[in-house]
Amino acid sequence: MHSQETASDRADEASTGDTASAAVDAVDLTLTYADGTEAVRGVDLHVPEGEFFGFLGPNGAGKTTTIKVLATLLAPTGGTVRVNGFDVTERPRAVRSTIGYMAQETSVDEELTAAENISFACEAYGVPRSERGDRIDYLLDLVDLEEEADKEAGEFSGGMKKRLDAATALVHEPPLVFLDEPTTGLDPKARNRLWEYFQRINDEGTTIFLTTQYLEEADQLCEELAVILDGAIEARGSPADLKREVGGEILDVELDDDGARERAAAIARDFDAFADATVAESPDGITVTSPVARQYGTDLLVALRDAELTVTGFNVRAPTLDDVFLAITGEELDRDSEVAE
Amino acid sequence: MSTPADQPERDFTRARNSFLGDAWVNFKRWNLKAVRNPFVLVVSLVQPIIFLVLFTEVFGNVAGSAVNQGIPGISYETYLVPAITIQVALAAAITSGIGLVNDIENGMFEKVLVSPMNRTAVFLGKTAAEMFRIAIQISIILGLGVVLGADVTTGLAGAVGIVAVGMLFSLWFLALSNSLAVITRDQESTIIAANLLQFPLLFLSTAFLPLDSLPDWVQTFATYNPVTYGVDAARSLMLDRDVMTVLDVNAFGGTLDGVIPGVLVLLALDVVLGAVAVFLLSRASSSKAR
Repeated sequence: MHSQETASDRADEASTGDTASAAVDAVDLTLTYADGTEAVRGVDLHVPEGEFFGFLGPNGAGKTTTIKVLATLLAPTGGTVRVNGFDVTERPRAVRSTIGYMAQETSVDEELTAAENISFACEAYGVPRSERGDRIDYLLDLVDLEEEADKEAGEFSGGMKKRLDAATALVHEPPLVFLDEPTTGLDPKARNRLWEYFQRINDEGTTIFLTTQYLEEADQLCEELAVILDGAIEARGSPADLKREVGGEILDVELDDDGARERAAAIARDFDAFADATVAESPDGITVTSPVARQYGTDLLVALRDAELTVTGFNVRAPTLDDVFLAITGEELDRDSEVAE
Repeated sequence: MSTPADQPERDFTRARNSFLGDAWVNFKRWNLKAVRNPFVLVVSLVQPIIFLVLFTEVFGNVAGSAVNQGIPGISYETYLVPAITIQVALAAAITSGIGLVNDIENGMFEKVLVSPMNRTAVFLGKTAAEMFRIAIQISIILGLGVVLGADVTTGLAGAVGIVAVGMLFSLWFLALSNSLAVITRDQESTIIAANLLQFPLLFLSTAFLPLDSLPDWVQTFATYNPVTYGVDAARSLMLDRDVMTVLDVNAFGGTLDGVIPGVLVLLALDVVLGAVAVFLLSRASSSKAR
């Protein structure tokens, strides 16, 4: 792709440093709506080519707004944003022809068949006529819709529409694909199938920029993550890095009496071995996060019993992205609420 | 921050796309949708056909004599068919905005915006598909009219002219319908608003009776009603004589005195309302944060 760039593009790149291998390069990305709402407040993003990048955050944190800026649907009100080496405000059409974009809301023409939807996308992205037939067959096969090729999309289930939508975003073999909550609302089976397609195209070299409500999805697919909160990046790193930052392992203690949680937490905090630990009350009891949670966990259980508190269950485990998310945002990612961005 | 969305740019991964190519893609898509959904195609023809049959059957005798006071020796069928062609153009143009709202609602509007297609070409293709459909519908009505006993005095050339006048007439209502769609972003509001306009526009014009036989206030309204100009131009072609009663032009001679002024008025209206629609559409597709 770089060999096809014009001299002016290369000059632009030279003046802004080494962005040659960056699929997404945003510096101080800001988007303030006309009513003064600061949806995105100075976000820096650097996604190298070929990476599977996850962009997480609670509803309304600025995920969709950011992705729309990167896809040229919204012009940034501040900062420098380059996608595939092109400035999104100066070269929006160059950006558009080199990205695939799958919106949060499923976008298919329900009056057209699956094959016609993909064919329309092929033409919209200028796929040469001679390649269209093969491309349509390949994509229908990729998303397992060959059998439904000539059925109108209006008859499809939600999962099938999502798969078709994904296929239409890939017609021009874009080096970078934006997926805005691609699996929200799908059943686990349909979700797993989409994960396979995304993993496959990423293995073939496509950079993927994914937002998701499912931390399991981010954990399984993404190499790098950034967590956005209230329009600003709160944390970034690989899933393993982020989990390490949580600070050790997690001891969940279940108590039979809701009123005992406060006392149990106090006992844990007074426990010498857990002086540096994070102790929190959970719905069922208490949670202790500490590098020595496994080592001294049983001692804490004894101390609780000595204080005449009844422990009904306990578990020591490695932190999950849910714990990371909880630690960063102070809230559990709400999976069931309507998407409100 | 400015967004030069349509500045000329070299295409990179796109092998062969052009302004006309982009328009053609969208022309094909909207035609395909029309064929897939023949219900709309048929329903927007049913009402004009009902009008044509009922009016000629029920009012034929009474209206025929009113018509013959001005223009002797023509049947009410012949008088009415040009008006029905304009009604078809009006009814079909209403559905244009509905298609746009539908696209906005199901995400196709955004999908098109995120593609590298030229946006002007996108809307041009859609409009062309709708005008193509209108041309077919008008041709059907003309054919039906002839079957029912109407007489196109100017023959095939005149019939083609009537189709052209109908297409020209439809453009301002297409623009209006799309403007309503962008403003309301709601199917029902678009349908109601456009339908609300349809009947007053038709009845307060020269569509069904000659200007002279209408009450004074209706005459006044009809003088400023675009339907009058479309109907009079189409009717002049149908009868091969100048029946334009709201404008007295004698510069072109004969039938053309009835056709050209109407065409010019419609052209002006198309340009004005087209500009409004273009403004609203480009605002709706702009990437400026609001």
